[in-house]
Amino acid sequence: MKKRLMLLLVLVLTIGTILSACSGKENASSEKEGKDGQPYEIKWYTIGTPQKDTAKVFEEVNKYLKEEINATVKMTQIDWGDWAQKSQVMINSGEPFDIIFTNGTDYVQNSQKGAFLAIDELLNKEGKDLKEAIDPALLEGIKIDGKVYGVPTNKEAARQTVYTFNKGLVDKYNFDISKVQRLEDLEPMLKVIKENEPSITPMATFKAYLPYDYVFNNEMPFAFPIDGDREHVINQFESDLAMQTYKTMHNYYKAGYLKEDAATSKDSWPMDVENWFVRMGDSQPYADSLWSRAAKYDVVSVPAEEPTTFNDSVSGSIQAISATSKNPEKAMEFLNLLNTDPYLRNLVDKGIEGVHYEKNEDGTIKDLPARIERYNLPTYSLGNHFILNLYENDPKDKWEKFKEFNESAKPAPTLGFHFNSDPVRSELASITNISKEFYPALATGSVDPEEYLPKYNKKLEEAGIEKVLKEIQKQFDEWKSKQK
Amino acid sequence: MPKKLQTQSSIALSQSTNDMKGAGVKILRKKYRDPQHLHPVVNTIISVLLGILAIMCIFPFFYVIIISFTSEESIVRNGFQLFPKDWSIDAYHYLWGMKAQFFRSYGVTIFITIVGTIISVFMITFYAYAISRPQFKYRRFFTFLAFFTMLFSGGLVPTYIVVTQFLGLKNTIWALILPLAMNAFYIIIMRTFFLKSVSESILESARIDGASEWRIFFQIIFPLSLPGIATIALFSTLGYWNDWFTALLYIDEPNLVPLQSLLMKIEANLEFMRQNMDVAIMQSSLFDTIPQESAKMAMVVIATLPIAVSYPFFQKYFISGLTIGGVKE
Repeated sequence: MKKRLMLLLVLVLTIGTILSACSGKENASSEKEGKDGQPYEIKWYTIGTPQKDTAKVFEEVNKYLKEEINATVKMTQIDWGDWAQKSQVMINSGEPFDIIFTNGTDYVQNSQKGAFLAIDELLNKEGKDLKEAIDPALLEGIKIDGKVYGVPTNKEAARQTVYTFNKGLVDKYNFDISKVQRLEDLEPMLKVIKENEPSITPMATFKAYLPYDYVFNNEMPFAFPIDGDREHVINQFESDLAMQTYKTMHNYYKAGYLKEDAATSKDSWPMDVENWFVRMGDSQPYADSLWSRAAKYDVVSVPAEEPTTFNDSVSGSIQAISATSKNPEKAMEFLNLLNTDPYLRNLVDKGIEGVHYEKNEDGTIKDLPARIERYNLPTYSLGNHFILNLYENDPKDKWEKFKEFNESAKPAPTLGFHFNSDPVRSELASITNISKEFYPALATGSVDPEEYLPKYNKKLEEAGIEKVLKEIQKQFDEWKSKQK
Repeated sequence: MPKKLQTQSSIALSQSTNDMKGAGVKILRKKYRDPQHLHPVVNTIISVLLGILAIMCIFPFFYVIIISFTSEESIVRNGFQLFPKDWSIDAYHYLWGMKAQFFRSYGVTIFITIVGTIISVFMITFYAYAISRPQFKYRRFFTFLAFFTMLFSGGLVPTYIVVTQFLGLKNTIWALILPLAMNAFYIIIMRTFFLKSVSESILESARIDGASEWRIFFQIIFPLSLPGIATIALFSTLGYWNDWFTALLYIDEPNLVPLQSLLMKIEANLEFMRQNMDVAIMQSSLFDTIPQESAKMAMVVIATLPIAVSYPFFQKYFISGLTIGGVKE
């Protein structure tokens, strides 16, 4: 008994040591290979649920890459929900890898921290083709202190908020939705739905929209007006527009057009359950047909604003090269190819032809079951959309419409301006807390704005909003003067 | 209802006083000594209170089971209900559909729980035994070393660097076992237990009989300390079974993901979908594979059941073990 136990223990511990030693060696040897003419292995982390056929597809990818740029790629997907925490730990620990998907504030913060490489020079050499292929507005929009820290995905660069309606109900009651522009215009329709459709909630829970360009996000009180004075930052909750909009929302709430728990609810209102009449969302060309396909009934949208290019709409998907990369040139060569070579781009996105998808005679494609079950990759996080094959039920001019959409958009006032929040960190922390308390209740109409909006603004004042507004204005003016 | 209870108990009360009169002083004294004997009213109140408490503990799990048998449509329309309109076993169907990943994860969890508990128990008892013996010259230093980590820890990033870059454990099964194997708190518990339950004279007699240190440990200390060891074994079993965070940090390979981590992933993915509706809607085909509320609950049921079933077998050790840490000499 004693001997056996001992043996087991010794065995277990030695296996552990050996295993860990082995994997340690592997790392060391693969680094060396890159240097003596052997293919360099590019480590690429991206978002999404890991797929079963990744290894199979990347065997093909590597065959191609070895010929083209003498490199191989190891792509690792990190699941949606794990992404934020895990990528942050990886970056903070200085783990060696080459390319990582990033977006929004994560991109800005990590770039400012020096976790990503500034790639302007690489873009002129290894990434020359890529620079031409990508919408200049995207590259301009993600500049931080005049430098580009990642390769943005070429897709819709602008954002357009829309009201989306359940088309079945619109047709049933013969509503004229073309005239809808503001929140107030919804009133008569909501009333009819409330009276006649007991199983439908008139408004899927959303936060009332205020048309501003936000320095952080729509719940923080720092915004630049899109129309009018675009040079000065204001607290949008002090505007008449906010009072008026929230009053309307409060009336809707009192009339029972929204669920009672709107302020705290985390309900995602899945499209495929037909229990809503109107909702709010971000649109792109042909979004209605996309949504209708997902919902399995028809929806129809009307714009609530002109398409505008915001900081967060250009930084929705970026591939950054890590500062810990051992071979940034190779990484850039790969990104260059991924964004300009249709064969590689489609291979990475759709899988292997004949296994994961089929090509029709007219060049459009059709998913095979294997693509859904074994290689279902998120398109938006990988690279250039405009060289992707179209699906057979896609409109032929899909990518042209995207380009038109991007060109029609006007830039937001702060496009390319990224606020450095270090000087006002403590004020921002308390303002964030106050906003978390007030904003959801106000924006869903759950409380009376006559009473709560002034209260909110008073608390913001006490928390030092003036100082933050001044600091933003100062940095904005500095940035603006450099632009000219 | 309360009125009825009161009359009943008052009848019981008068009966018992009658009995006492008849039986004399002896019984009264006997009953007085009996710690179980409570005034019937007090007894009722305590029973009701404990009953409510028990229901409060069991009810959420009961609710989870009901939700797991509710149809998804009904959840979206009406929210969670105790008596749902539509019952369905779709959730369990769904889990059956992902059985490959599911059984794999179950296997990983069982493996790390068994191997992890064994390693953990040996590492902790070895360490605790050593620092509990006065003959060990550096025991103060090593006690302090363990104690120190209870007050100060390196933090997440340094730990991550040690595990991935220094030990190279990333994407190995050991990344799920070794980081949890040592626990300073359990070491202190075991040290106190050894000090209290094993007297020096027993060890001395063993030494006189010529037993080696190993023999003393395995044949004398081990059986004598079984309640304490069973307690920390139970703690580590629970720790390994419920652990999802180490997997989140160190595991990218789907075939090494333990059960709880799988569950957390699904929860986190749902949360991600809620916060990123624009991405979720544009990429709808991607999220079709993410299970909804009822499937999530079905997973909770299946993941919790084994530990809930095995718990009663540990319980007697558990209760005796719980009092160990509190007593100091």
